Amino acid sequence: MKRALLAVFFIGLLAVSGLAQTYNVASDTTWPPFEWADAEGNLLGFDLDVMRCIAALQGFEINIITYDWDIIFDDVGIGRADIGASGATITEDRELKVDFSAPYWTSDQAILIRADSGLNIVTALSLGYTVGAQVETTGAGFIQELIDAGVSVIIREYTLYPLAVLDLINGNIHAVIQDEPASEASATAEEELIIAGVIKTNENFGFFVAEGDPNGLLPLINDGVTQIKASGVFDNLVRAYMGTDLTKVEVAWKASIGLLEAGDVEAFAQALADGAN
Amino acid sequence: MVRHAFPSLTFGRYTSSMSTIWQSLELLIVKGLPTTILLTLGLLGTGVLLGFPIAFAQVYGYRPLRWLCRGYEQLFRGIPALVLILILHSGLARSFNILLPAFTSALIALGLRSSAYQSQIFRGAIQSVSQGQMMAARALGMSKIRAIRYIILPQAFRLSIPPWTNEYSSVLKDTSLASAIGVLELTKQGTLIFTRIQFVMGVKYILVILILVAFVYLVLTYIGNAALGFLENQLRIPGFEMKGKVER
Repeated sequence: MKRALLAVFFIGLLAVSGLAQTYNVASDTTWPPFEWADAEGNLLGFDLDVMRCIAALQGFEINIITYDWDIIFDDVGIGRADIGASGATITEDRELKVDFSAPYWTSDQAILIRADSGLNIVTALSLGYTVGAQVETTGAGFIQELIDAGVSVIIREYTLYPLAVLDLINGNIHAVIQDEPASEASATAEEELIIAGVIKTNENFGFFVAEGDPNGLLPLINDGVTQIKASGVFDNLVRAYMGTDLTKVEVAWKASIGLLEAGDVEAFAQALADGAN
Repeated sequence: MVRHAFPSLTFGRYTSSMSTIWQSLELLIVKGLPTTILLTLGLLGTGVLLGFPIAFAQVYGYRPLRWLCRGYEQLFRGIPALVLILILHSGLARSFNILLPAFTSALIALGLRSSAYQSQIFRGAIQSVSQGQMMAARALGMSKIRAIRYIILPQAFRLSIPPWTNEYSSVLKDTSLASAIGVLELTKQGTLIFTRIQFVMGVKYILVILILVAFVYLVLTYIGNAALGFLENQLRIPGFEMKGKVER
């Protein structure tokens, strides 16, 4: 009797483990429109929904965990989280710690300044002014390259982007460099801020996993991105998140996330894009 | 645009929305508070479980044990809590591939720190029970362990409550350090909320959210201290209390 129970238990265990693998997805959820938490604490954003759609198509479950940006590559690299989905540019330095998926998004850096500062993109970066950036971002790397090349500019790094933007509004720094969609979101939200200009860096965003891809996730992710690009889901997600009003996206997301949970990826993306615009 | 009943709350180009602020407070309480409370209780528990034996060992233990406990207490009282957290969470992970979850790292690191502090609270309480009582108990034929259990411990426990109240408020606020390694407690939840709020309502509202976070800590500290004060009064034995009665 005991043995039979044990057998049932193990068969059950096998069945459960064979059903759907759950992977932890690390994301610095302080960066709209790529990832943020709405008023109820739900995590949404472009990266997260792309990842959710891929997971739904490839038949694995994901559990999104809020992460600090400055440790995200290390922690995914050592396997504390399985996947990184956090608007991460593929760079050589990061390739040393993690393996990236194929690029899914191309981004440029934008310079945010106060509207009344009288600066422009050239003066802000060359006359000894202080530029804020999030620590260990490609924006920070870009300013560091300018400094190394002998350009007169000072960098100040922050753990969170909102704190850099706050310091800019408070007048403690003269400009903030960050990816274009995020800069646009800041400029839309704050009357005092404008975008001085865009630097065409042509950076590629990738999802990332531990080196050597121990869970075999990269082929699934790459194939998933190809699938959603072919079916129009990807374009709908772009339409939903890029350049739209964040509160409107939140309402649309709450109304349509049920479709994704039910497995209908295309209907979800369509409803989200329609609701957000 | 909604005209609001509280014009004094209107600043900037946004009409303050009290509902957003209530919603933020609710989110703090629902998603941040449970972790903070769990961590605080875990830390206090760890502190008592380790702190009491260490204190007794320091007072009544044999010499090598006394040295060992003194070393432990000096070590963990001498390292900043944040550095301890980073050593446990990031340092050990990189160097020895010990992958503790963030919550566990914070619990262990802050627990070690708190046990070292609490051991000194208990040591003070034990030593304030006069040595004559120990001698009397031994003279009556009680073993050292029995004397500690029945004579010293009950008194030391009562005497340690007032200083322990202090440790409670300090441990509670220390839990905010866990946000540095991404534990989603009150402070971290606060940063997530103000990230959103600055885009939706403007950057000035970061202050409002931080005040809400501070307010929740304040209330927790008050409730905890009041409960411990009540306990102190309930357990008071005439003639053996701390000198002077505290009005609450």
